[in-house]
Amino acid sequence: MTDTPGRFLDSAALKKDVDDRPDVCVVGSGPGGAVVAARLAARGLRVTVLEEGGRFPPDQMKMDESWAYPAMYQDRGMRATADLAITVLQGRGVGGGTLINWTTSFRTPPRVLRHWAQAFGVSGLDEKALEPHFDAVERRLSIAPWPVEAANENNKVLWDGAGKLGWARETTRRNVTGCQSLGFCGTGCPVGAKNSLDLTYLDDAVKAGAKVYARARVVRLEKAGRRIAAVHAVALDANFRPTARKVVVRPRLVVLAAGAIGTPEILLRSGYDPNGKVGRRTFLHPVVGSAGFFSRPILPFYGAPQSVASHHFSERGGGKVSFFLEAAPVHPVLAATSFGGFGADQQEQMARMASASALIALAVDGFLPEEKGGTVSLRTDGRVRLDYEIRPEIWEALREGSKALARVQFAAGATEVRSFHEDPVVMRGEADVALLDKARWEPNRVAVFSAHPMGGCPMGRDPEKSVVDSRLKVHWLDNVWIADGSVFPTSLGVNPMESILGVAHWAADHIAGAT
Amino acid sequence: MFHRRHRRERILLPGESEGRRSFLKYGLAGAALLAVGGGTWLGTRRTRPSSGLSGAFTVLSPEEATVFLELSERLLPPRPGFPAPLDVDLPRRIDALLGLMPPEGQKEVRQLVGLFENALFGLLLDGQWKTFTASTNEQQDARIRSWQQSRLEVRRTGYRALKKIVYSSYYGARETWAAIGYPGPPPTGGMVEREPRFLPGTITEGASPSPLAPPPALPEVKP
Repeated sequence: MTDTPGRFLDSAALKKDVDDRPDVCVVGSGPGGAVVAARLAARGLRVTVLEEGGRFPPDQMKMDESWAYPAMYQDRGMRATADLAITVLQGRGVGGGTLINWTTSFRTPPRVLRHWAQAFGVSGLDEKALEPHFDAVERRLSIAPWPVEAANENNKVLWDGAGKLGWARETTRRNVTGCQSLGFCGTGCPVGAKNSLDLTYLDDAVKAGAKVYARARVVRLEKAGRRIAAVHAVALDANFRPTARKVVVRPRLVVLAAGAIGTPEILLRSGYDPNGKVGRRTFLHPVVGSAGFFSRPILPFYGAPQSVASHHFSERGGGKVSFFLEAAPVHPVLAATSFGGFGADQQEQMARMASASALIALAVDGFLPEEKGGTVSLRTDGRVRLDYEIRPEIWEALREGSKALARVQFAAGATEVRSFHEDPVVMRGEADVALLDKARWEPNRVAVFSAHPMGGCPMGRDPEKSVVDSRLKVHWLDNVWIADGSVFPTSLGVNPMESILGVAHWAADHIAGAT
Repeated sequence: MFHRRHRRERILLPGESEGRRSFLKYGLAGAALLAVGGGTWLGTRRTRPSSGLSGAFTVLSPEEATVFLELSERLLPPRPGFPAPLDVDLPRRIDALLGLMPPEGQKEVRQLVGLFENALFGLLLDGQWKTFTASTNEQQDARIRSWQQSRLEVRRTGYRALKKIVYSSYYGARETWAAIGYPGPPPTGGMVEREPRFLPGTITEGASPSPLAPPPALPEVKP
């Protein structure tokens, strides 16, 4: 064990610059960074974690979107692709996305792991290798089934509708203990029921001696040959603005875990892109929504937000992009920025919010040979930029996904279903679902979202075509690993949190072996 | 073994796509629209500030705040139960939201407001030689619709940016919640007791605790 106690620190409160010399510097405290930090600290290594976001314990949570989005989401809740066609909901804070995600926990589908082995030469990362690691993170986060009896009405719409249509359906597993079904996972659990990473693995890491700096934004990696000699961060003030205060960490090993946008951003900012692959193959699970209106209360703002899924269209084959169906919570700001139209028509949709069901279809991108995914780059003013062209095959999946959602909602008793087009498709019954074929599926004509950025530093055997090897070490650097969703060479077809946890838990063994 | 990639050294506006010439993508009018985006003063130089505004703003000029106010009044027309934009101090809320953006983002939004307001572009793109704020309600709705439904993606992008700023600022205000049947945050059952049960990195046998606790009573909601 280390000689100094671990601590959660707030860089905004630093009285002087920090020059820290631990064994390991972990950049980012989401599901990847937190697990690696805890496992390495448990082995007696001195670990320092740098996190750009703030620390938000449960008693600070307000169940209020106008507070939560600027506080705990990237770009103060305004992250999007450069053309604004895709709204990107991504967490930022101690605990990363797990602070604000909807707790949906899936292991990586084995078919995805097999595809990575076949198409990208990833070796050793298979179902059997990952199993004990998934077992471990499931125990630590109390990931357990959420019975359908506990589902809220919005999720029951998906359950009942898929059941009536004879489609595959399942209840999801969630990382909660003593959940009170409040419905505010997305704005931060106010009762500490969500086993987010700040309350679990980071807490373990700190108890084992790790230091976790909140509001420390990494700006540059300092190179020394094939090694990173130092990680340079600036302290942010209470409003997340840079200060003159610096945090410099000079570790033996660096683990990058700033997420699928943040990790490429840091590498690019530091001038590390020798093969032009950093920030490439970014996948998003592009999402469309469907609003179903019922003649009874749905109360989609309360209850576990996401507890039912349908993977009926998960393996469409034939050169088509697959998709899966889930539910989404409805709160005023998210609803108002998702519903199409303006003026009286938009107000009418908002006025019926309490009897609305919101379901989503998530396109499984990255599996077609011709798909190159999005690109993370830097603007000349230094801000990060995300470009993502929605290919025709993905539009097709979003359109078919939208039709599937409308059919589910009608099967469950909806009297009206609306798409999220700016010129909404209004359907009054199953026969109207075909109207979605005539709608215009083009950027900024329909709301498209992503809550699952993945890729950008893909793993693979070929150093010319990938960024990290099958052990997650950066090909061209000797002391740098990446342990977050950026290493996935494709998307997953399931919500990514548990895949990131499991892969990071697995990778920690390799990283520890290098110390 | 590796080739260094060359990056474009140019600031791109929202909606402008990397790797393609904006002229090709947006046509003549779109390229002109992007070219004039450089100055924030041009768009609102003919705007008369609304008398409904009070006090100073941190990001927006009074003219720009007026454009947002007039736009808000069309996105949120009078409806029983719905507070008017000024009732929730909407221009100030919008200004505060923009204050969270980095300076470059603020500049882009102000350029966008100028383009939306500008009479020359109204003429060029919609045949309306009038600023947005000097237009009638019907003309304003037509201007909004022409941006919303434009063939030029850059205008649709601009419309969605403005719309999201207005709606998220308005519906973030608690005073609007009664109108939409949203009762707000429910009472909680109090803090869940936590204790570390497992050591990290060890694989141990352990039963998962019950995920279910009785939910607290929810407030009454009328559909």
